[in-house]
Amino acid sequence: MIVQSTYRRRWRMLAAWGVVALFVFPLYYWITTAFKNARDIFDRPPNVWVFEPTLKNFEEVFGISLGFLRQQEVLPGGGNFYMAPRLWDSIVVAIGSTTLSVMIATLAAYALSRLDFKNRHLFVGWVLSTRMMPPVAVAIPLFFIYKDVGLLDSYTGIILIHAVMNLPLAVLLMKSFFDDIPREIDESAIIDGASRWLIFRRVILPMAKGGIAATAVLCFIFSWTEFVFVLTLTQTGLKTVPVVSSSFVTSTGTAWGNMAALGAAAMIPAFIFILLVQKQLVRGLTLGSLKQ
Amino acid sequence: MSRTAAAAAEPSAYVSRRPEWLRLLLRPFSGDAAFPWLAPLIVMLLLFTIYPLIYNIWLSFHEYAPFRRQLEFVGLDNWRTLWQDTRFWGSLGVTFTYFFFVLTVQLVLGMAIALLLDSDEPGFGLLRALLTLTLVIPPAITGMMFLLMQDSEFGVITYILESVGLLDGTQPILSTGSTALIGVMLADIWQWTPFMVLIFLAGLRSLPPEPFEAAMLDGASPFQIFRRITLPLMSKVIAVAVLIRGIDVFRMFDYVFVMTSGGPGTSTYVLSLYAWQQTFSFVKWGYGATISLVSLAIILIVANLFIKLAKVRW
Amino acid sequence: MRDSDRKRYVASLTDRYVRRQVSRRDFLRDAGQLGLGLGAFGLGMSRPFGGKPAFAQNEELRPNQEVLDWVREVSTPFRGTTLKLATESTPPSNAINSQLKPFFEEASGMTVEIEVLPLEQVLQKLTLDIASQLGTYDLYYIDQSWAAFTAQDVFDPREQMADKPDLAMPDWNFDDFLPALVDGIARYEDRLVGVPYDIPIFIMMYRRDVWEEMGFAAPTSLEEYYEQAKAVTEAGELYGATGQMKSGHYSLECDWTAWLWGHGGSIFDADGKFAGHDERGLEAMEYWRRLYGTMPPGVTGWTWDGQGQSIAQGVAASMMSWGEFFPYFDDPSATKVSGLMEAVRCPPPKHPLRRVEETGFGEIPGVGHQGGSSLAVSQNSKNPDAAWIFMQWATSYDTQVLITALGGGTGPTRSSVYDDPRIIANRRVGPGTTRHLDVVRETIANDMGSEPDLPEWAELANDTIPVRLGKYFADDYGSAKEAMDDIAQAVDRIVSG
Repeated sequence: MIVQSTYRRRWRMLAAWGVVALFVFPLYYWITTAFKNARDIFDRPPNVWVFEPTLKNFEEVFGISLGFLRQQEVLPGGGNFYMAPRLWDSIVVAIGSTTLSVMIATLAAYALSRLDFKNRHLFVGWVLSTRMMPPVAVAIPLFFIYKDVGLLDSYTGIILIHAVMNLPLAVLLMKSFFDDIPREIDESAIIDGASRWLIFRRVILPMAKGGIAATAVLCFIFSWTEFVFVLTLTQTGLKTVPVVSSSFVTSTGTAWGNMAALGAAAMIPAFIFILLVQKQLVRGLTLGSLKQ
Repeated sequence: MSRTAAAAAEPSAYVSRRPEWLRLLLRPFSGDAAFPWLAPLIVMLLLFTIYPLIYNIWLSFHEYAPFRRQLEFVGLDNWRTLWQDTRFWGSLGVTFTYFFFVLTVQLVLGMAIALLLDSDEPGFGLLRALLTLTLVIPPAITGMMFLLMQDSEFGVITYILESVGLLDGTQPILSTGSTALIGVMLADIWQWTPFMVLIFLAGLRSLPPEPFEAAMLDGASPFQIFRRITLPLMSKVIAVAVLIRGIDVFRMFDYVFVMTSGGPGTSTYVLSLYAWQQTFSFVKWGYGATISLVSLAIILIVANLFIKLAKVRW
Repeated sequence: MRDSDRKRYVASLTDRYVRRQVSRRDFLRDAGQLGLGLGAFGLGMSRPFGGKPAFAQNEELRPNQEVLDWVREVSTPFRGTTLKLATESTPPSNAINSQLKPFFEEASGMTVEIEVLPLEQVLQKLTLDIASQLGTYDLYYIDQSWAAFTAQDVFDPREQMADKPDLAMPDWNFDDFLPALVDGIARYEDRLVGVPYDIPIFIMMYRRDVWEEMGFAAPTSLEEYYEQAKAVTEAGELYGATGQMKSGHYSLECDWTAWLWGHGGSIFDADGKFAGHDERGLEAMEYWRRLYGTMPPGVTGWTWDGQGQSIAQGVAASMMSWGEFFPYFDDPSATKVSGLMEAVRCPPPKHPLRRVEETGFGEIPGVGHQGGSSLAVSQNSKNPDAAWIFMQWATSYDTQVLITALGGGTGPTRSSVYDDPRIIANRRVGPGTTRHLDVVRETIANDMGSEPDLPEWAELANDTIPVRLGKYFADDYGSAKEAMDDIAQAVDRIVSG
């Protein structure tokens, strides 16, 4: 957009890499922690670059043997983390809640973007305000409802609350993507006699595919990383990664290596999704604030 | 022209053969009425937020009696206690300090980084993707991560700060009253600044190019362009970003929960942690609910003031 | 111990010997404990023992068939039942969950789901379950500080034994549980809140090599301990002492009580009023402050986790803390101090301990602070009988031996387990060692200190006291007296309701 001298471009590139490196460093440190023995994690001064790598942490966390046979041991966390099922729980919850919130948000966002109704501004404000309650204040009443209707410790229960938690953001996000699609398209279709639903289904949705993907990814990530609701509303039926990772805090110390291994492994799916929708994210995350 | 005639005359794109039940289901969506579109959203939000709200209000007039294993009506006791509870006022102060500081840093830093990364040169796409990596870590794990990195003996951040002389080794970040909150903020800032960057980048990329070209022709300096053109055009995006992030920062829980448990002393005791402690550790559900309600009221007021002042419209 | 670990350990041992950090006698002894004669160095390491713990494959460490047969027999009506338990991630729970549970499940036909959580989260789950009378958990893991709060929601094991003679395990022998633990952990007023399940207790652990180098013997008084710690810190290489002093965390309260009791003080007086701010209490604070000066500055941010790490990584040279850390220190793959630690009883109190009658709420003064927990069947459980079978199995002699051996040398709660040959056989340097257990047993018998039991205790121990102590160490108070007076005021207000 703006023509710059080579000199300035170099500096800018350098600065950009520098800043990003600063943000990536903790991740690097955490991921390498997953490949360290306990004694290397606690080296002084901290052992950042050179250490003897080990797959031990991953083996323990996933209950599998990589490369060589190991005898079963008593593990910190009590072997409760044969993490494969826990990752599966996380995936089910995240995908379920994402689907639900994207569907609901897409419908609502279309109305907010295209249909006029009184107090739209207030309505959006209300939607947003549902996010303002401290988590514990939602968790307690939900615990009792869930107990009464049998949703406690179930996928459905967690999926529902995660979907609700994501709705405000998803609605704003979808609205911003719909706003990007010129209204003229709808209008011409209406003149052609198409119903709103048809326009939505056949015209708008296909055009907003990228936006839906971006919204879905953000919902996925927020559900993937949520802590308080899963902590309160589950028992042994399911557990997602953030909650289960706290079981590495034991009475005889924290199993940092295992925790890092789980954290590193859990990063992968979410990161893949983020890469896939990178472009849409950077284009559409204006949260509906630019139009109108 | 009647609708059926029009549909019949139209190319097949708009013709569908749906079963009767589906047609009935979709009928409300054919016209310009907004309600059917919003109905699922409204139902979900009502179910999951209005009920907890009412329940909390009810709860705030009750207290759990541990030996009778039931909730008992206590009238306004909880509200009176709250008024005199220095711990509550203290944690309110901490919450606001945290709120303003984190939000400001994330805003400024986010904007700076967004401007830096707003380029189509090769490599910048990768940089943007790398930056968003911080978002995929669960905050509870981020907290543990920063706990390890800020450990007074083994932490890499401590080590770096000590080797550049910012720390002298006698004042561990997370267990010194004056710095513990900063230590917690660091985790939040690290994790969520990239989110701000994403929003700002989205805004920057959808700005019209014309004003910039005109300004370039007039020979305006980059700073002038930023001050006179970018900022005003971006004001709405900034406002919404601040709003969204502000709501979450105010309710921040995970970081203090795993990093400091509110300490040392009460220097990192935020409202949501206090409500949590009252509820779960001391089994004072009524009082916990009272704290939560006040917290909700405050953020509602602040957010609405902000919406008014920043003229956010959707 | 894996082969590579063993090699590394032998290498480091040899290294220390060569550098004259260990005497030849010690070297030969340690090498002998590794199962090798010196000749093995030249023989390229045959594998004298396999995985960790050393005898995991040993036939002796299989559950006793008779016990399993009994389980099979009494469980017939309960096949298909699912039992749930939320527990802290402690060595016994981990041993049961990852190794022993399948044997029980196979024999009983029940499913046991164990939720392993950090301590605070266990309390949170317990609270919700009790408050809602929900009965999602059939068994409760009850930290001793919650005993009063949970007392009326669990079965008294004595009643269960009397009520269900047909479900009673033969030779389960309740009297085998160390009486001090039954009193300290399980008893609340006239009820027993389950049976003692695990017993982390304060013992003195120090670096033998450092102490020898300084010419010290194991400390025989608190004052001597301070002098030694100070000298070690001043020598400059490592810190003499360490602590678990994270503000607002239960661990800080634990450290406090040990010093308080050790100076003849008590938390409550006979009238149930806070007594930590009396003369003895302030003397303890003065001592603690001095000792704090010899600790790494990070202690105020550490729970037992950081405290243990500071020893394990050679940052600090001694700690008076949970004995269950000791087996971990001996694990060469995790720590830098394997074989170097020595366990002894805590130094005797400076002034005579207060007697139980002089304190309030069943508090038992003693330098060896105990942090045990009990296992109990919930009154809300839908399958209390099935849960009772599991509980008897989990706390039976045989299972406890296996837990202690497999779970890394955690302190058993049954007297007979300490004398079991399989436990004694494990007194060698290495992960899961039991060479500290004699000290643990003596500590339980002679030095044990136990916190008071009152329903408000969870709040006092997890918040009221440690938050204010944390403020004190962050220098928010003018003096220890000011801090303790403030604690006294807050505690008395909460206790009086």
